[in-house]
Amino acid sequence: MSIYQPQLATVVDLIDETVDTRTLRLELQDQTFRESFGFRAGQFGLYSVFGAGEATFCIASPPTRTDAIECTFKLVGKLTTALREVNIGDTIGFRGPYGNSFPLDDWQGKDIVFVAGGIGLAPVRCVIWNVLDRRDEFGNVTIVYGARSVADLVYKRELEQWAARDDVTMVTTVDPGGETPEWAGRVGFVPTVLGELAPSAENAVAVICGPPVMIKFSFPVLEKLGFADDAVFTTLEMRMKCGVGKCGRCNIGPVYVCKDGPVFTAAQLKTLPAEY
Amino acid sequence: MTEEHPNGERPADASGRDERTDGERSADVPGRDERTDGERSADAPVRDELFLSTESLAALVDGLLTAGTEVIAPVVVGACDSPAAMASAACLRPGVAAEQVDYAVLDGEHRLALGEAMPNLSLKSFFLPQNEALLCWRQRGGAIDLQAAPTEHAPRLVLGAKPCDAAALEVVDKVMNWGCADELWNGRRDATTIFALACPMEDDSCFCTAVGAAPDGTRGADALITPVEGGYLVSVTTEKGRAFLDAHSDRFVALEGLAGAEALRAQAEAFRAEAHARVAANLQIDAASVRQWIETHYDDPLLTALGVRCNGCGACSSVCPTCHCFDIVDEPDGVGSGTRRRCWDTCQTGKFTAHASGHNPREDQNVRFRQRINHKFAIYPLRFGEVLCTGCGRCTRVCHAGQDLVEILAAIDVDARRGDLDAAAEGDAA
Repeated sequence: MSIYQPQLATVVDLIDETVDTRTLRLELQDQTFRESFGFRAGQFGLYSVFGAGEATFCIASPPTRTDAIECTFKLVGKLTTALREVNIGDTIGFRGPYGNSFPLDDWQGKDIVFVAGGIGLAPVRCVIWNVLDRRDEFGNVTIVYGARSVADLVYKRELEQWAARDDVTMVTTVDPGGETPEWAGRVGFVPTVLGELAPSAENAVAVICGPPVMIKFSFPVLEKLGFADDAVFTTLEMRMKCGVGKCGRCNIGPVYVCKDGPVFTAAQLKTLPAEY
Repeated sequence: MTEEHPNGERPADASGRDERTDGERSADVPGRDERTDGERSADAPVRDELFLSTESLAALVDGLLTAGTEVIAPVVVGACDSPAAMASAACLRPGVAAEQVDYAVLDGEHRLALGEAMPNLSLKSFFLPQNEALLCWRQRGGAIDLQAAPTEHAPRLVLGAKPCDAAALEVVDKVMNWGCADELWNGRRDATTIFALACPMEDDSCFCTAVGAAPDGTRGADALITPVEGGYLVSVTTEKGRAFLDAHSDRFVALEGLAGAEALRAQAEAFRAEAHARVAANLQIDAASVRQWIETHYDDPLLTALGVRCNGCGACSSVCPTCHCFDIVDEPDGVGSGTRRRCWDTCQTGKFTAHASGHNPREDQNVRFRQRINHKFAIYPLRFGEVLCTGCGRCTRVCHAGQDLVEILAAIDVDARRGDLDAAAEGDAA
């Protein structure tokens, strides 16, 4: 069998996060593969609907919970349209895990600041749960999450769970105009809210993922707060076909996102050409 | 998952190929040449020299075909009859001969074209087919059956490969075994014995000697044959080549002790030396400074100027022996069954990198052209220690926008040398 042969996975649950975003919960069918399966926070997989093709998504569930894996996708193209038609009990394909990961072991004893926007919370959520499942190993945990509107917030039940914990500082915000009359969270763009919250950069790392414009305006805020470029971690998405460094389309200059990434520090990003 | 050997039949020496690099940036990624412990080592070539008469060669081919062994060789094709010739647009160009040469699987009817024109397409398609099945799926109720494509193939022979085409296979071996092994590629590589044919040089688009290859190069070949009076002088370079010769020893005559051996050697030597000189006259560059220039001149106007001439048709990638980028697509053959295929792709089209969101990291053609030059002459050297080009010149011959890689590399080389001069002048002034 070739490296392009996917494993089969059964859809055991599906959760509608927003009107156009859905989470699939998948159980790997092959017992041997399932029992040996492991991954690290930040790695990705190629998910396939037979007949529609394959696409790359992060594994949105944490490696500390491997009874099933989850992927969260937004309806944008051909494959996600097909994924959207998948029901509980259906079979899809999965290849992975691929790519590098967030260096959680290096973060022991440090404060962690999570900054996410929109569906960019999916890869960050994997790290959040991984950190919370190993809570004793880390310092303060701060989460700043925003979306265009209240309706666009994903993982709503989990946002409540995080907010309810006394070992997590949680701030949820929506862009101005995106609030509802009942909205009790913040109103404002993520970078602004992050600046106002001003988490300490001392012995801290930041994990950030979201739309390019949010990342662009959050980097200077983090810098101003005193976060060094190598203490700011993000995860990139590029169009991929193979996931294993052969199909030749995910490179940014000499760096292959599928093999060298998808996790990069802000310091690494600054050395790359702006082709992402 | 990537570390598995699902078929479990890989020889022990394959372990080196599956070493995960996990993103580390390595200039000396293990290629297949290194793993075989000198099997294909350039340092200690197995240099058995033999003579193969023209008649024996014909008999050898007949014997192989009779035995059912696949033989791939350059053959004469009508310019508009061959999909390969049409793909390379040969039939569209004015002044193109009605007869073209292409590699083909011999069927006994073909007219061999050893030592004639450069085949329109490289050997690539015999190792990375233009499209190939990766798997078939069939839905049965709620379950899905997957059938994997075979990764093992019957032994076959390539007779008369251009040395640039043979070398290209070994260059591409590196990316195909980067971190995890592409068994589809390796299966075809392992099954194939390659006899390269020393090349007299095709035309002024050739520049193999400028990029580390040679018209008489043995890289990627198990034997090199050089035309001499009455036949070919055969130099065996690998164990695989020797095994092939052992199995067909009645066709070959050892040069040792053969009357006129010295004359044959001299003819072969002269043929190779002349070819070398001819190609070297086409282009001479300092590869290291060209690479450095490309790495440090990302936004240089020269690259932009060259890039805007490109029409983005991607013909260069199709004909290129080292361009290996591919797409993976599903081809349903009805409801509930179909084939997942891998197809050649090219970085020269906008769709190559377009995200589903509509965002495209390489929106403009000059950026896509820059990617191709970068990948070949800077990124691949950085990751794998050598350029992704063997100087066959096909991209230049096929380009209807007039892009000429010989010109382009020469222009970069001149600019790089000028930079060196400027730096030296500054040094002197200081």
